[in-house]
Amino acid sequence: MSLMIFRGVSSCLTSDAPMPETAKILPFPSRGPHETRSRGEILALVESFLRVPREERSTELINATLGDGDQLSTLLGQLWEQGNKNPSLVSQEAIGLHAWLTAREKEYFFFDERDYSLGESALLAGACLRLLGAREDCERWFDRADASFRHTVAPAPLLARVAFQRLSLRFDLQRHDDVLELLPSVALTFKKLGMAVELAKCHFLEAMCLKQTGRNAEAAERLDELVANSGGALQPTFLGLALVNLGDLRSGEGQFARALEAYREATSVLESANQKFALADLKMAVGATLRTMGLIAPALAAYREAADQHAELGMVTRAAYARVVFADALLEAGKHREAEWQLLAALPTIDEQKMVPEGFAAVALLRESVRQRKTDPKALLELREYLQAKN
Amino acid sequence: MEISDDLDATPSAEDVFEREVEKVFQETLGLIHIALVTHYQLSEQEATELEKDLFVWFRRFCYRPGASIRENRPYLLVACCQFAREYQKYVVGTGVRESDDRLRSILDREPADVAHDFSRSLQLFDFRRSDA
Repeated sequence: MSLMIFRGVSSCLTSDAPMPETAKILPFPSRGPHETRSRGEILALVESFLRVPREERSTELINATLGDGDQLSTLLGQLWEQGNKNPSLVSQEAIGLHAWLTAREKEYFFFDERDYSLGESALLAGACLRLLGAREDCERWFDRADASFRHTVAPAPLLARVAFQRLSLRFDLQRHDDVLELLPSVALTFKKLGMAVELAKCHFLEAMCLKQTGRNAEAAERLDELVANSGGALQPTFLGLALVNLGDLRSGEGQFARALEAYREATSVLESANQKFALADLKMAVGATLRTMGLIAPALAAYREAADQHAELGMVTRAAYARVVFADALLEAGKHREAEWQLLAALPTIDEQKMVPEGFAAVALLRESVRQRKTDPKALLELREYLQAKN
Repeated sequence: MEISDDLDATPSAEDVFEREVEKVFQETLGLIHIALVTHYQLSEQEATELEKDLFVWFRRFCYRPGASIRENRPYLLVACCQFAREYQKYVVGTGVRESDDRLRSILDREPADVAHDFSRSLQLFDFRRSDA
């Protein structure tokens, strides 16, 4: 029997059971026990789903979970929460989810929920890939998010979120002028729609651009305002990163005590929220401050932790950058052999991820000098400074 | 006699949110019902069932990032008109129900346009509400 699907008036689920064509008057199936589930029960189902490794999930489990609109929306929420903690895993989940949604006919979904979920999974995949340094892939995922969100019933807030992610990517690419020019429009959308969390993120990104362009006083002012006035709107990751960057700015001004105070506060915020990626960035900043203060041993320990934590999180480009900075500090401390190990670990990623332009002489010089076990400090410094500007 | 702790319990943010969703939906339900029965010519039973589905969709919709629950009402009307249009097109298309000029006319219109007209009624409702 061929099946005719009409999802508009059937059930609260994105059902596996399309409506029979033979129905003369469209039946309205009972919603069954699902209708009375609390959000806690739905969350428990989703958490149980996520505990099963992706490769071990049966088709039945996948269809039952993703085919249930309540579980699908809860799953997306959960993945967003996990994105900063484990971008590698979440990007794989998001890409898998997007593939499942793409393969499923729209008739199985309520109204605009297929487009919405496609857009969310694509945006999530792009956001996580950006954190992982896979910048070329991000654009396409953001395009996919745009394409799906455009067909939802209320696209404005969703498209503004994509725009924000695109600006974050431009920030990564050092296109600060673009960000500073275009960010106010996105921020205005968030303000008009009352999206306080997203608005706070815009202020954070603005402060980061000001910092990167050397407008340190303005950047510190914005970050101070953000920390003082976020009123809970700023997520722990951003609050922690705001404090890390405030500390970095204070350190640059030689105010080491205030810098370390900001780092301590950031540690507390980020550890409470288990924000591993931001904690790894914090270690980098602490290492730099301690090095400037002449506290070499603890600085080296902080750099080592930063490199290891970024690598554990699958953030390969960040890990490679951390290893280059670490190697530079090791070399300065006379630990030549250890510096070579770090560079040997970093150089393949620098090549594979195209972290420097083709023919970048310092990398060739460095590779050759490491091979000869006489690390070239000038080449290392040049590479570190280049990557520092890019990071 | 033991006194239940529940007496002191304040509702969670989630409970408050859910109640607001229900409240806003209930406030809009009269208009939705008129749209479904009078304009899209659904039977009472069909309209009632569609309203249940609309509530399920609206509840999930309100969890999306964006406007407040109350500001989401115009989108609820768009969804209502879209649902009703697709349903009636399906029913008429399968020959279960005959169409007339009035039904054909509304089915030819974009649901967003029809919803926009209904939104004016919402504005009037809000005006009366604030006036009261």
